[in-house]
Amino acid sequence: MKEKTIHSPSDEELNVYIRTRYQLLGVDISVLPDSDPDAPMDQERLLENGRSILRQEVVAADFDIDPQFNLPVPHPAPFVAWTEEVEK
Amino acid sequence: MRPPQDTVISRRWFLERMAWITTAAAGAEALVPRPVMGAERTSSYLREIPISINTRQQVGELTELTISETVDFLRRGVVSPEDLVRAHVDRIDRYDQFYRAYAGRPSLDALLASASSGTDGSYQPLKGVCLAPKDNFYTTDMLTEGGSLVFEGFQPHYDATAVASIRSAGGLIIGKAQMGNLAGGRAQVYGTTIPTTRNAWTPNDVNYSPAGSSSGTGTAIAARMAVAGLGTQTGGSVVGPGNAQGLTCIKPTFGRISLHGVIPLSYTRDHVGPMARNVMDAAILLQVLAHPDPNDPRTKGLPPAPNYVGSAAPTLGLNAPVRWPTRVGVFPGWSDPGDEGVARMRADFLRDLESMGNVQLVGEITLPEQWEELTSQPLGGSHGDPTAFFIEPLRRDVRLFGDRLPRFLNGMLQSADTYVKVQQARMLLLHRIQTQLFNQCDVVLTEGSGAFDGTGMPVLCMPIGFDTDPGSGMSVPRGVNLAAPPFGEERLFAVAAAWQARTDYHTVRPEDPVG
Repeated sequence: MKEKTIHSPSDEELNVYIRTRYQLLGVDISVLPDSDPDAPMDQERLLENGRSILRQEVVAADFDIDPQFNLPVPHPAPFVAWTEEVEK
Repeated sequence: MRPPQDTVISRRWFLERMAWITTAAAGAEALVPRPVMGAERTSSYLREIPISINTRQQVGELTELTISETVDFLRRGVVSPEDLVRAHVDRIDRYDQFYRAYAGRPSLDALLASASSGTDGSYQPLKGVCLAPKDNFYTTDMLTEGGSLVFEGFQPHYDATAVASIRSAGGLIIGKAQMGNLAGGRAQVYGTTIPTTRNAWTPNDVNYSPAGSSSGTGTAIAARMAVAGLGTQTGGSVVGPGNAQGLTCIKPTFGRISLHGVIPLSYTRDHVGPMARNVMDAAILLQVLAHPDPNDPRTKGLPPAPNYVGSAAPTLGLNAPVRWPTRVGVFPGWSDPGDEGVARMRADFLRDLESMGNVQLVGEITLPEQWEELTSQPLGGSHGDPTAFFIEPLRRDVRLFGDRLPRFLNGMLQSADTYVKVQQARMLLLHRIQTQLFNQCDVVLTEGSGAFDGTGMPVLCMPIGFDTDPGSGMSVPRGVNLAAPPFGEERLFAVAAAWQARTDYHTVRPEDPVG
């Protein structure tokens, strides 16, 4: 069996991913300045934040939760809120 | 004696309810707002608002009146609603150029017309009370801009249910209060990082923050430009400015106050929170606002609102004991915040609490399992929620979001796997707070409110003293956060009432601006 060779993505690779993801959803971040600490937001800060969020995905993926921890009763009584039942 | 509501509610019932809310988040499209039909429910408990011990002369300026004093003075014919409107408008006209607490205001004529309007004979507990809701509550007579370019010029065609409830109870919207950009941070010039609203305790120093995001509401109340107000809290945005400005505020249990007509941030974490100058006023507002709303299913199926006004009235007897026997716990590290003055203040507060009847201090609590993991990013967050609501303006122009842009774009980077884990982690946290934290105490003193915001539990803040701000050299208030299990509002009010019956920190007013 081939040995695993997964490497942690570099900042540059994540930047490409982030830009592509925004572009896919129709969001244009190129209207922001590249880097301007005096601006309310710039692309550099936005991408830095995005990389942090993506790297946190690993933390979430690693979170080990009991697969039998099911949310208790997903359809309880408050369904009456949509059935026009008279409030008592 | 009747027990407080937190002791008679099934904890399993609350867990099931929050799970339903989480599940329903995926179906939020079904919750398209409809015009509110009017919120006419005001509880009979509001007739229990106590009489004032102050005379007209003792109160001084009319803007010094609290809600309960206003009710009593109007009942006795000492003042008229029109007097109250003029007093508040005069003060705002004179001082808001310094405080910059308001984003928009109705005309004096419109306010006077509302103040003098007749009723159908029903009891109006807030008659003539001038209130300042944050600018994310829809109002038909004023713009609702959310402190942001995203909503610049937005004129709603209906009132938020909370606003409608206030008007129905006779309350007057004296203005819409400035707020942090889309409910984050302190208020700023839209689309910039230039601060606007000042802390009422440092009106000549813009650098000392009023905290956010309910900045303007906090400042308006503390500066006596409103009697009380409405904030919203997704992550500390009511208790933050409350503590920064010496106010008493309540972020109630999730679903207690309708969010219909409030600009959303998170479907599962947003709360409306009454902000006031003392615990009785916070309780009166909650009493007016806590009712089911056909336009917000999250308010349905809850146990009826109990007697908040009664729980906020001080008890009689030696040392004015807390109304119910209450175990008070402390978060690890809370007593040692790293600031000597604050540490001393908190130690004094604990000593005073212990001396009040019916209080048992249980010391530092043991945190539930995996506390750090469950309450910090990414599991303790809500990345996807604001993205879902704001896709259209994000596509229009990301610059509209100013410095808050990352918060609104992050959801696009979060996987479905993570989102499911976040929801599961939140339910796990909710379960453990109930079974592993509130098995040790009935009320807990906590530094932040994040864990209780995410799990929908009530949090109250109140002032416990004053400290000198090293930057401005001015005296500024310090407060505490008290959290309780679901539907523990009465318990929180009772503790605050006993504390405020023996202290006067909540009555101290900041000096007027110079200039």
